[in-house]
Amino acid sequence: MASAARNLDDTLAALAEPTRRRVVDLLRERPRRAGELADAFRVSAPAMSRHLRVLRTRGLVEEEPGGPDADARVRVYRLRAEPFRELQSWLAQVESFWSEQLGAFKAHAERSRKARRR
Amino acid sequence: MNPPDCVRTATTVAVDPETAFRVFTEEIDLWWKRGPAHRFGGGREGHLRFESGPGGRLLEVYDEARGDHYEVGKVRVWERGRRLVFEFRALAFEPGQTTEVEVRFEPASGGTRVSLEHRGWGALRADHPARHGLEGEAFASMIGLWWADLLLALGRRARGRG
Repeated sequence: MASAARNLDDTLAALAEPTRRRVVDLLRERPRRAGELADAFRVSAPAMSRHLRVLRTRGLVEEEPGGPDADARVRVYRLRAEPFRELQSWLAQVESFWSEQLGAFKAHAERSRKARRR
Repeated sequence: MNPPDCVRTATTVAVDPETAFRVFTEEIDLWWKRGPAHRFGGGREGHLRFESGPGGRLLEVYDEARGDHYEVGKVRVWERGRRLVFEFRALAFEPGQTTEVEVRFEPASGGTRVSLEHRGWGALRADHPARHGLEGEAFASMIGLWWADLLLALGRRARGRG
C-alpha cells in the first residue's frame, strides 16, 4: 500500500499542472510528436520538452521513434496504462478499508446498544 | 464508478444519529479494526481516541503518561449527531501531506444512515502553484472529475483491444 501511495503521488504530482493534463488528454486520442504538442498549446519547444520530461520520468508517457515519415530522429509520445491501473487498484483498497471499518462500527454500535437496553 | 480522488461508502445502523455519532467518536477504539492493516502503530499496541470538538485531534496513543502517540489528524468539523470531518494521515504520508474524511449521520428508516467519504490524495499542499487559487475541495473535485473521465476512456480502450 505504501509503494502504491508513492506511485500515486508521482502520478498526481505530474498531473498537477494544467498543460500536462491537457497533454495527457491529447495523448488519449493517439500518440503524438513533441512538435505537434507544442503547436497545440502554443508553447515553446523547450517548455513542451520540460513538460514531457516530467510526464516521462513519472512514468505517465513513454517515447519511441516513429512519426508518419518513420524518421528515426522523430520521437512520438504515448500514454502508459500502468499508472492508471495503479490508481484504480489503490482506490479499490481504500474502499475496502472503509467498508470494513463501517461494518465493524455498525456491528459494535448495534451490539452494545442492544446490550444496554436489556 | 466513484470519482477517483474520492472513495465513498455507507451503512445503515440501528441507532439514532446522536448515538451513532457518539459511538463513532467516543468508542472509536472499541470498533475500529485492529492490526497493522488498520491501525497506525506498525504493530505497536495503542488505543484510538478523538479529542472532542473542532480543533481536537484523532490520536493513536501508545503511552499516555509519556505522551507517546501518533496524530492521525485534526478535527475540522464536529457537529454532534450530524457531521464529522477529520484529517487522515497514514504512516506512509510525507510530512505536511494529508487527506480528509467526512462522515455524515442522517436519520433513516430503521436508524441512521452513516455515509463516509475519504478524499483528497490528489489535493496538493495549499501553496502548490497548480492550485491556481482553487480551494482544497474545488481542486480535489476538479481533479476527481478529470480522473473519472480519463479512467473511463482507458477502460473502453482496454476492452476494445481485448
